[in-house]
Amino acid sequence: MSDIFTEIKSIIKWHELLWQMVGREVKARYKQSILGYFWVILNPLAQMLVMSFAFSIILRIPTNAASNIPYSIFLFVGLLPWNLFSNSLSSASASLVSSSSLITKIYFPRTILVLSTIIAKIVDFLFALSILAIYMIAYHIPINLNILWVIPIFLIQQIFTLGLSLFFAASNLIYRDIQYLLSLILTLWLYITPVIYPADLVPERFRIIFQLNPMAVIINAYRQTILGGGPPNYSSLYIGLLVSLVTLFLGFLYFKSREKIFADNI
Amino acid sequence: MPTISKTMEKPIIEFQNVTKEFSMNSQKTFKEFLPALFRGEKTVNRFTALKDINFKVKRGETLGIIGPNGSGKSTILKLVAKVMSPTNGKVTVRGKVSPLIELGAGFHSELSGRENIYLNGAILGLKRKEIDKNFKSIVDFAELWDFVDQPVKHYSTGMYMRLGFAIAVHVNPEILIIDEILAVGDTKFQEKCFKRMEEFKKQGVTILFVSHDIKQITKFCTKVIYIRESNLAAIGNPKKISQFYLNDQENK
Repeated sequence: MSDIFTEIKSIIKWHELLWQMVGREVKARYKQSILGYFWVILNPLAQMLVMSFAFSIILRIPTNAASNIPYSIFLFVGLLPWNLFSNSLSSASASLVSSSSLITKIYFPRTILVLSTIIAKIVDFLFALSILAIYMIAYHIPINLNILWVIPIFLIQQIFTLGLSLFFAASNLIYRDIQYLLSLILTLWLYITPVIYPADLVPERFRIIFQLNPMAVIINAYRQTILGGGPPNYSSLYIGLLVSLVTLFLGFLYFKSREKIFADNI
Repeated sequence: MPTISKTMEKPIIEFQNVTKEFSMNSQKTFKEFLPALFRGEKTVNRFTALKDINFKVKRGETLGIIGPNGSGKSTILKLVAKVMSPTNGKVTVRGKVSPLIELGAGFHSELSGRENIYLNGAILGLKRKEIDKNFKSIVDFAELWDFVDQPVKHYSTGMYMRLGFAIAVHVNPEILIIDEILAVGDTKFQEKCFKRMEEFKKQGVTILFVSHDIKQITKFCTKVIYIRESNLAAIGNPKKISQFYLNDQENK
């Protein structure tokens, strides 16, 4: 436990480096191409259009009969946070390896490399979110104060993401193909998470998977609060928070136990 | 007041029975690791980079480290910089360390020189205000006046190196680590770097200097250690140790 406080203290001490690193990621993106941030928006937009066509027009997945929500919006509310999760995790898992020249030369808290990657992905996410906002206004989707639930749900998602990222970043430094394994895991994970289909379409006996899968809890909660206009399922969210905290704790412990030999493994 | 004088005498760097072993994975990928585990093959490869090393560096000394490639010189620097920890023994460092990082480590090629100065400064532990204060001096030292707002991907190797060196010498370190970086760059800039290092020496900065250039070592250092096959072969007067090193290498 005291390790965690020491780490938080040293991250605060090195906060300028953290923001410089975030700035590096963000600035480099829009400098690399003329279109820059356009890609951040175009990517999910294209994904949504293709998926909407496949699942709503061809496969005709019903969203929710009661509230007349178009599939594209239903999908987008789940897809954006999912993309954030998946992008954060795959970039963070490569973050230590790609900064190997720094790791072997200079001392600074290594968690900063993982944290800055995740924060940079949140910036991307906020840009993509503007599309959803425009969409929701165009389709006159009603919202109410329950939408504020999005903030704690988002925090739970980030706790979970950070925990897994610390684990994968540290293990990817030891076996460089872990990131390929991770992309396989993420592909499968998308299908056991109700992103492209509504959770209530799944037979009762399989729903236990959703209970144990924090990403399912999180995506469901986003939909309930943004599109349903009601509060999230408290008990599920509570379990989701618990699982996320345990993930962060274990991920951090693993990262710390490996940190001393990071430079040896490069 | 004996206590005060005693603390004053404490060496700034102290290696006590330091051994560094690397336990490298024999398999670089998980794909190779799993079958090896099932077959019961060795998954970890051990090798000793440093063996029972003892030495002290006093504040203000310039320590030269010589030895053939792969003898463990860089491992010593990494232990001082705290990027590695010893397997056995104890490394004590009593001061702020500034490594002269290798060409462009931490630079982002898409970003301008200006942005990279701030980024690299932060990596070296500088506050934003400190960089603001030193910005002009860094640019002057690197001689990059017209290029500071260009992306560093358009820089020549020499410009890259100059910028890296310029930032590192503005950190105000207590211990400066120089790992053969001066082998690159034109003679004029090399001279400038040495002049700067002489200034550091006068200010009482402790310098660790790895080089294959025996002339530089004897001219610049106050003490030299010779590392041979992971062991400390000799320590002492630069001229004596350098001569011993040259003879030793010839006799091989």
